Amino acid sequence: MNAFYLFLAVLVPFVGGALNPLIPWKKRRHMLWYLEGLVTLNSVLVWMLLLHRPLEKFTLVNFTGNLAIAFQLDGLGTVFAGLISFLWPLATLYAFEYMTKEKHEKTFFMFYTFTYGVTLGIALADNFLTMYCFYEMLTLVTLPLVMHTLTREAILASRKYLYYSIGGAAFAFIGMIFVITYGETSDFLLGGVMNAAKLSEGRNLFLLIYVFSFFGFGVKAAVCPFNSWLPQAGVAPTPVTALLHAVAVVKSGAFAIMRLTFYCFGADFLRGTWAQYLVMGAVLVTILYGSSMALKETHLKRRLAYSTVSNLSYILFGVTVMTPAGFAAGICHMVFHAFMKICSFFCAGAVMHQSERHYIHQLDGFARQMPKVFAVFTAASFALMGVPGLCGFVSKWNLADAAIASGNVMAYAGVGALLVSALLTAMYMLGIVVRAYFPKADFDYGTVADVRDPNWMMLAPLLVFVVCIVGFGVCSVPFTELFAAVARGGF
Amino acid sequence: MEIIRNFPCLSILLAMFSAIISSALKGAAARRLNTFVVTAVGVLSACTLYFTHVTGKSYVYVMGHFPAPLGNEIRFGTLEAGMALFFCVIMLFSLNGGREKIRLEIDPGKENLYYIMVDLLLSSLLALVYTNDLFTAYVFVEINTIAACGLIMIMESGRAIEAATRYMIMSLLGSGLFLIGLCMLYDMTGHLLMSNVQESVRQIAAEGSYMIPLLVTIALMVVGLAIKSALFPFHAWLPDAYGYSTVSSAAMLSSLVSKGYIFLLIKIIYRVIGFDIFVQSRIINVLFVFGLAGMIMGSTSAIRENDIRRMISYSSVAQIGYIYMGFGLGTTAGMVASVFHILAHAATKSLLFVSGVGLTDVADDNKQFIELTGAAYRNVCAGLAFTVGALSMVGIPLFSGFISKLLFSQAAVQSNLKMLPALIVLAISTVLNTIYFMKTVIRIYTPIKSGYPSVFAKDHPLYALTLLCFVALNIVLGMCSQPIADWITQGLSVFA
Amino acid sequence: MEHCLLLPVFFPILAGVLLLLKRDFKERRSLLVYTGAVLVLGGAFAFFAVMVPADGVTLFYLTKEFPIFFELDTLGRFFSVTVTLVWVLAGFFSFEYMKHEKNEKRYYGVYLIVFGVLLGLDFAGNLITLYLFYELMTLTSLPLVLHTQSREAVMAGLRYLFFSFAGAYMALFGIYFICHFGTTLRFTAGGVIPAGALAEHKTLFLVVAFLMILGFGVKAGMFPLHAWLPAAHPVAPGPASAALSGVIVKGGVLAVIRVVYQMIGVDFLRGTWVQTVWMTLALITVFMGSMLAFGEPALKKRLAYSTVSQLSYILFGLSVMQGEAVTGALLHVAAHAFIKVALFLCAAAIIYRTGCTRVDELRGIGRGMPVTLWCYTIVSLGLIGIPPASGFVSKWLLASGSLASGIPVFSWLGPAVLLVSALLTAGYLLPVTMKGFFPGEGYDASRFTGKEPPLIMLVPLLVFAALTVLIGLLPNGLTDSLYTYAVHLLTLEV
Repeated sequence: MNAFYLFLAVLVPFVGGALNPLIPWKKRRHMLWYLEGLVTLNSVLVWMLLLHRPLEKFTLVNFTGNLAIAFQLDGLGTVFAGLISFLWPLATLYAFEYMTKEKHEKTFFMFYTFTYGVTLGIALADNFLTMYCFYEMLTLVTLPLVMHTLTREAILASRKYLYYSIGGAAFAFIGMIFVITYGETSDFLLGGVMNAAKLSEGRNLFLLIYVFSFFGFGVKAAVCPFNSWLPQAGVAPTPVTALLHAVAVVKSGAFAIMRLTFYCFGADFLRGTWAQYLVMGAVLVTILYGSSMALKETHLKRRLAYSTVSNLSYILFGVTVMTPAGFAAGICHMVFHAFMKICSFFCAGAVMHQSERHYIHQLDGFARQMPKVFAVFTAASFALMGVPGLCGFVSKWNLADAAIASGNVMAYAGVGALLVSALLTAMYMLGIVVRAYFPKADFDYGTVADVRDPNWMMLAPLLVFVVCIVGFGVCSVPFTELFAAVARGGF
Repeated sequence: MEIIRNFPCLSILLAMFSAIISSALKGAAARRLNTFVVTAVGVLSACTLYFTHVTGKSYVYVMGHFPAPLGNEIRFGTLEAGMALFFCVIMLFSLNGGREKIRLEIDPGKENLYYIMVDLLLSSLLALVYTNDLFTAYVFVEINTIAACGLIMIMESGRAIEAATRYMIMSLLGSGLFLIGLCMLYDMTGHLLMSNVQESVRQIAAEGSYMIPLLVTIALMVVGLAIKSALFPFHAWLPDAYGYSTVSSAAMLSSLVSKGYIFLLIKIIYRVIGFDIFVQSRIINVLFVFGLAGMIMGSTSAIRENDIRRMISYSSVAQIGYIYMGFGLGTTAGMVASVFHILAHAATKSLLFVSGVGLTDVADDNKQFIELTGAAYRNVCAGLAFTVGALSMVGIPLFSGFISKLLFSQAAVQSNLKMLPALIVLAISTVLNTIYFMKTVIRIYTPIKSGYPSVFAKDHPLYALTLLCFVALNIVLGMCSQPIADWITQGLSVFA
Repeated sequence: MEHCLLLPVFFPILAGVLLLLKRDFKERRSLLVYTGAVLVLGGAFAFFAVMVPADGVTLFYLTKEFPIFFELDTLGRFFSVTVTLVWVLAGFFSFEYMKHEKNEKRYYGVYLIVFGVLLGLDFAGNLITLYLFYELMTLTSLPLVLHTQSREAVMAGLRYLFFSFAGAYMALFGIYFICHFGTTLRFTAGGVIPAGALAEHKTLFLVVAFLMILGFGVKAGMFPLHAWLPAAHPVAPGPASAALSGVIVKGGVLAVIRVVYQMIGVDFLRGTWVQTVWMTLALITVFMGSMLAFGEPALKKRLAYSTVSQLSYILFGLSVMQGEAVTGALLHVAAHAFIKVALFLCAAAIIYRTGCTRVDELRGIGRGMPVTLWCYTIVSLGLIGIPPASGFVSKWLLASGSLASGIPVFSWLGPAVLLVSALLTAGYLLPVTMKGFFPGEGYDASRFTGKEPPLIMLVPLLVFAALTVLIGLLPNGLTDSLYTYAVHLLTLEV
């Protein structure tokens, strides 16, 4: 297909989203059809692009010097764009039902749809500058979503989110300058674009800059010690927390780190250096920190958010192994975790929507009242723990396999960290499940009598996700082969 | 086309004479005259810009046809012409944006005085931009100072007068140092015309004699101008001066007056001392360090500030730090970045001042943050404009601030020793900028029930139009940065 | 024909899931009929699969190289027969017992699912499949522990979960390495890791082996990760405790055998610190379990401690890595399964009929429930190791194997500890019999009169008691084939 459609895919959500508050909707349902149609159409466009990939790139404007805002579609971008465009229509459907109880819907959906375009922009970016631009924009368009409820808590959370994100981007900016200055081309190229002579000359400097930008992008990917914004941002409405703070935003951080590591600096240059050990160390600490905090947390969404912190670092662990296999495993977990986490968040959202309960100790006996939601939640929990046969196991398996194959002793320790974290995951997820299914013996079901499963608009996405979770787990082979091909550059 | 060569001189004279005429005019007439003059000078500068850009050379205009040692010269290239045009544009916008406030805050009988000061300011700025004579430069520096003082004092409140006095003292200290430097230079070289001075300086440098006096001279002139342009740590006068004057004054002071001095400094660096000699002197390291310190300290003070105007003023300290940091890098790329930042900052800072006043207006002129909660809903266009300005200051892509940041970092990467400090401080400064600007943005977008009235754009068309122009200027600088950067590079190359 | 392997695994699982999803039956009777039919059918399928030789069957590929694969070898057959016998009989026992518990449907549904999962564990043809069913076993048996939903049960359940997963993940750590270095994941006597890799990464593999033994040992209640067992087993409903204590713990044993003998290889481990530490831990557990049981007043908890101790008999036998000892260990798997199930069922019958849970309340119970107590006594003798019951044979083999192994210190220390523990076993089991039959002069045991449980409870008890005696009387056929298999596992020349 013509490369122009790449730009179109980014543009459509912007235009469509901006129109939404302008159109005087007579019925709320009309807005749903409009938004759902818009998003679905765009997703269809993206999928058509993925299946018929344009080979050339599309240059929108020349920014400064040899830099341009340009779009193209390579393997990694394909995976990320495919993931995003698959999830968005479902999440919109869910969000529409969820938002019945919230105010300022029109603005909310405007920014929600903007975010779709921005995230696609990150996925389809051809060069570092384009990605950086969309990365900054992502912070800005998601800010109103975090602020949405406008409570004091939400304002504080959004401030923190903003400071952290922009601050992180400021450090990533340093990396961008280096890539622009010392890169032989400004486009992303698997294996790195840095000038080899310069690299060997200023080795430590380049490593330092890599570490800066790793942590810079790592802010969005919630790497220790820059992750406290994520659980706080859980004050946003659940569709935001689920789609943005479990998938789009945070995965953009991980995606950017992948671009930085494999497409700019080059894994061969970084492997075995102090920089690798440093970032891997930070990632391992995050894995354990996130899981431990999740276990401690009693607020349902915040617990899931901490779980996200930990799981994002699984992805980054794969990246920091810095082998093609590790990269493939990172991509794999990026995709699979998206399904598991959005699924569990949507369940949490359904609980909050139907019952206005936010804390885990209030969930006694819910499974009998919301059997479908909790069946899905249980499946998602099992997947997150890594029960074989579900997708979480596959990605963890690949991560561990890559770590062992790399022969790096710290990566061995990383496998241990993964497993400790898996144990903690079992505790904090099953703690909820057990409570919901097995309330205290003298539990009075009268207190939850009015709690019901939500309607089809919330259940349908859950069903799709759970089917994906099982499907990915049972026939993972085509997917892992695809990811391996992407990581090798064969796709 | 030859007639265009007369335009720079003409525009200086035009501004000066309009000031004289205004003294006899009533407020409204003075205002109209001023608007006309600023526009006319803008048009003249645009013609000059076109002319110099097409020819690609710089020209010397000899005043009254007296040749070098005795006479006075004007020299203009594409950079000077562009700068003059830009100053006119910003001045026009700033005045239009603050027009209503001027009417409210200034005693009607003294309105013409205000416009006299503005005309004088314009003429002195143009002179600073165009002149090729050091002493003329000094004279106009003083005129500029006096005009600026007048602009601050015109409010006639106690704080404004105190601020003006403080500004006067610091400025005079700066001019004094500049004058001493000038004297020493004259002692050493025996010339006052920039081109002649430079020849002698080259000779001195080549011979190696008078190296210490030369260094002292450079230091004196640089420090003198640095004080006047509020480089950290000489910025103590700034927050009061910007914070308690009328909004147009604040906008012009921050984006024109200090920028005029900085532009003069660039001229001195290139035309009087010579870029290579300047780079070899240790002064640039001092500038670099002070620039970095300013970037951090300015922002830190801004974070602590509770008054929106003073916060924006402190932000200027940080931004001036950026510019001096660019000088301190000692490369042409650094210079280009600094010049670009002069433009970007001027466009953004005046936007912030002007939109800030829109926000404080809907809070009964209360500048405290707590009162501004939700102000963006009561004055939608000021809110949006302020957000754009804030994003630009933070360095979000598509706005002008991002390009300066990009250019600064690209320049920094070329220098081995200064790269890391510059990059890290840039990053930290971005974080700090985010903290105080975005905090404000979030605050003004936090809805609250308040008794303050709402203001609509259709009731203040001029104000809204000004804001729109400012925003457009910002986005143009941010999106079409390449021709501008090329233009600056070309301008600097014909500068010396 | 190979698909007959899938039937016993998935038929009960599906039937159980169906039961859970279904609305409540109108009559309790139909629930029982359904469950009973599934149990019998599942058992029949399992026996059929065990009898009929079949090739392995691949279900699907979990990751690129590793399929979910089922295959039956001798070990699998042996375990699955044990499981099936215990599960079906304990299931029938619960038909009566569960009358006084709530949520019966859930109980039976889960019970059926666990049945399938256990058979899957036994049928697993490679390490990944084993791990899959191992985790499923933990997850699906959790509702049995939680069933009563008392605070105690929930805490015990969570503890069970935590320990089990800690163990499973320790083992998974090892599995990652084995998968990476091993040539195949099919169970192969003597190990699958090339000698070169073993020599190169000796320390790594020793650590891996140790972690895996420790990890899978969690399920078998091995010190120091045994604390979950005495908490979790007694809180389940009676028949479920019996099944948990008799069979599910054996899943850990099976996994340990698979890993040590068929993945890493005994030749590599023999004489290393791993073997020494393993033996030490096993002996500590044997002794400690018995001591704790001796001091425990509640009957079910006492039996749970006894399980801790007895399981480590098996682990000790395995750790010796000698033909006779391994034979003894394998035989003890079956012997202990039948005995412990019988003991727990007795306890359940007593609780069901009289509500007594503490040992000192059982004075004179032999008057009212003679058949139950006789069964209890017979299997107790088996557990202590008094001929002619089955425990005697297995313990004899364990001790003689240990003595013959020639390992310094442990070759005699082991039997000594086993002997002491046997004395303690007598000490904690027999008082129930003695006080039950001989409450003393003038003791009024009338409250037990006529409390003998109904036939559906007694028949399983009798069957298990009979099996215990039968194995003890005619052990030769079984021990011979087990010995052959042990030799095969140890890759010794016959």
